[in-house]
Amino acid sequence: MKRKIKTMGTLLVSTAIMASMLAACGSGNNSNTNSNTGTNAEASANTGSNNKADAKTPDTSKKVELTWYLLGDPAKDQAKVTAELNKMLQQDLNTTIKLNFTTWTDWQTKYNLLLASGEKIDMIFASSWADFYKFANQGAFMPLNDLLPTYAPATWSSISEQDWKEATVNDKIYAVPATYPEYTPDGIVYRDDWRQELGLPEITDVNSIEAYLDGVKKSKGVTPINGKAYNEVFTMFKAFQGYQQIGGDSGVIVSKSYDTPRDIVAYPFTPEFEEWVKKMKTWAEKGFWKSDTLSDQKEAGDAIKTGQGAVYWRNAPGAGGFITGLQSSNPDIKMNYFPFSRFHGLTTPTLSVNNAMAIPKSAPNAERSLMVLDKLRNDPKYYDLFNYGIEGTHYSMDADGKHIVTPPAGVEAKGFVGYDIATWGVRVESMERKKQAGGWEGFDALLEEFKSQSKPNIFAQVIMDYAPVKSQQAAVNSVIQQYGMPLMMGLVPDVDKAIATYRKQLEAAGVNDVLKYVQEQANKTFDAQGIK
Amino acid sequence: MKGFFQELVRNRILFLMIAPALLFFIVFAYVPMVGVYYAFTRFSFDGGLFGGEFIGFKNFEFLFNSGVLWNLTKNTVLYNIAFIIISNLLQLACAIFLSELPGKWFKKSTQSIMFLPFFVSFVLVGAFVFNLFSNAGVVNTMLTSMGLQPYDFYLHTAPWKYIIVFFHVWKGLGYGTVIYLAAIMSISDEYHEAAKIDGANIFKRVRHITLPLLVPTFILLILLSLGGILKGQFDLFYQIIGNNGMLYNSTDIIDTYVYRSLAVNFDIGMGTAAGLYQSLFGFVLIILVNYIIRKVQKDYALF
Repeated sequence: MKRKIKTMGTLLVSTAIMASMLAACGSGNNSNTNSNTGTNAEASANTGSNNKADAKTPDTSKKVELTWYLLGDPAKDQAKVTAELNKMLQQDLNTTIKLNFTTWTDWQTKYNLLLASGEKIDMIFASSWADFYKFANQGAFMPLNDLLPTYAPATWSSISEQDWKEATVNDKIYAVPATYPEYTPDGIVYRDDWRQELGLPEITDVNSIEAYLDGVKKSKGVTPINGKAYNEVFTMFKAFQGYQQIGGDSGVIVSKSYDTPRDIVAYPFTPEFEEWVKKMKTWAEKGFWKSDTLSDQKEAGDAIKTGQGAVYWRNAPGAGGFITGLQSSNPDIKMNYFPFSRFHGLTTPTLSVNNAMAIPKSAPNAERSLMVLDKLRNDPKYYDLFNYGIEGTHYSMDADGKHIVTPPAGVEAKGFVGYDIATWGVRVESMERKKQAGGWEGFDALLEEFKSQSKPNIFAQVIMDYAPVKSQQAAVNSVIQQYGMPLMMGLVPDVDKAIATYRKQLEAAGVNDVLKYVQEQANKTFDAQGIK
Repeated sequence: MKGFFQELVRNRILFLMIAPALLFFIVFAYVPMVGVYYAFTRFSFDGGLFGGEFIGFKNFEFLFNSGVLWNLTKNTVLYNIAFIIISNLLQLACAIFLSELPGKWFKKSTQSIMFLPFFVSFVLVGAFVFNLFSNAGVVNTMLTSMGLQPYDFYLHTAPWKYIIVFFHVWKGLGYGTVIYLAAIMSISDEYHEAAKIDGANIFKRVRHITLPLLVPTFILLILLSLGGILKGQFDLFYQIIGNNGMLYNSTDIIDTYVYRSLAVNFDIGMGTAAGLYQSLFGFVLIILVNYIIRKVQKDYALF
């Protein structure tokens, strides 16, 4: 039934839109009557910059209830923590927050609908991977340039110029990025104990990966990537070729390498792709994954936990979390991590807007929202409560006074349910009390490695909404799944024929129009930034 | 007009009873029709919901340009025809068997067991199917233990037509049976008594009494399902086939195609356009079939 909601093809969606629209109308009326009873401080709040901008301390004489949206699910004790937070906010800013969650089920659809329906939201999580640039370009968010210095002064001065630049679209800042630089290259975690036991070579390249998979399959009789294997293979393909996706997920359109960003192609038409899928055909035949992998719903990582698998795709922090998780649940399994960034010795840091908070255009109380955000980001009392819950109930301070321990001292580990919500949009590295990658001991060395080979991310900022080519893009998306994915997994009987079909279908779907559009947009951005 | 109000006053209790149903259709079927507007506009945040720029039939292009629409429509229609015919015939047969069965207890429990799959969610059905037909699934384990070659179901399109139809029929069987059973129950016992006295055996009675009296119900149900003939069962197909492009040639329907095309790039206009195409097709079809039926046998027509 939940899936059904996702069929944007049916009129159901318009039903949903109508429903939310009606709801929005309803709440719109409410807030109107509210502001009638209040002072005009609130009414002027809607118009952005105004005469209050020169006042040192913004007026908070009117009580305001803010509506915020975060991704994911609320914690079990959410009500308790929110109540605590509201107590503090009430005192300091005469404000309370209603914290809403999208839940992870169909979050993307819900997120899109929240913005499209114009629901009155004062602040919402935003991210480059949740189409921040597209939405900002289309005008879904409120420009913040005039508001920030007045209502979030500490945040305004503490976030670096580069970070602000990455949150800027058409010369306007549309989000407050988290201050939490991360490297998230794709890679694989694999069972290192098996590698050592079988005397297989250290994993350094595709050949040693093949040798490892082969060894595990033959000697252990285990399907190495046991579950959904597409991510493992596809990310390896991209990283091995050095392909860079443009402006988030650009489907089959890639820049051929970091050094030649303007060399943009549709990769299925390259000889490298031909060579790769032929190799994948042999891998599939050797049984590195199962022939039903495209229909399998299981994560390959779950098979590792039961001793039925060996390899799992993760990004670097995710790998750390997975490995430390296994260390406590299955101490006899020893894992290691191979980041695909080693193929080319290149990593790009995530954009600052990888996690951010933005204010939708429809927000009734943008100013107050920014003031709350300023508190959350800069006041340790707020930061700890919002991110980690209540001290003593959800965590306690480590001896060093900097980090937290869960479960808190004196609480039984068994049956303890922690406080963990997706507060990624307000994270600040210097305020963090949790170690990245779940505190995995191998992570620091990796981070050093990434930093030493780091180059700025020039591809993610190309802003594209595909508006002129959206029907072609939709058709191409469908072709990728129908013909591209089986090919990538080496499942087709005749590779040459399948490649020919794939290319023919892509062309029929209009891949060249999409390619031309991406090239134009990318070149425009590169011109503006002086990238050759 | 005056007559209408008189009617309203006279039958106020009856109108009151139908009010919730009317309200339901107004809120969930008629008001959302306003959304058809989105099929012809480009959504923009500046304009809000009804401020989009009017762009004519541009939103429909992705359906027509890629040249897959014919195949999708064909798949959707053929699957639905198979669903409708096989489901209805089997439901009819089961209902007749059940009605002729003696023994209340056995009858009731059979009916309940047949009804159960109706409550199973498609997510679970998808899991069943995967565990039956995957490499290490039930079917392949059985094949290998009998010394036969295992069969890669997920690499071949051939078996999936039957698997999908089977599971659809399986899921709806109990529900449809109940409807037919209710129709059978409303047939007066007197016909059967009279036929018995005249020496008709059970087959003759079914053939000449039960079946003819069920025809109106049968046609009504078929007509009702025809309206949705272009609406694929998204849950069924998506849960069973999922992302497996290997199988799309024979299992891709309009709904899954639209989902796949637009999942990456959320677009209200194009989604609505696809929905409108399906609804319009269904509307035309149902009018047409109803027209034909009215010509042939006026009493059986819907309107």
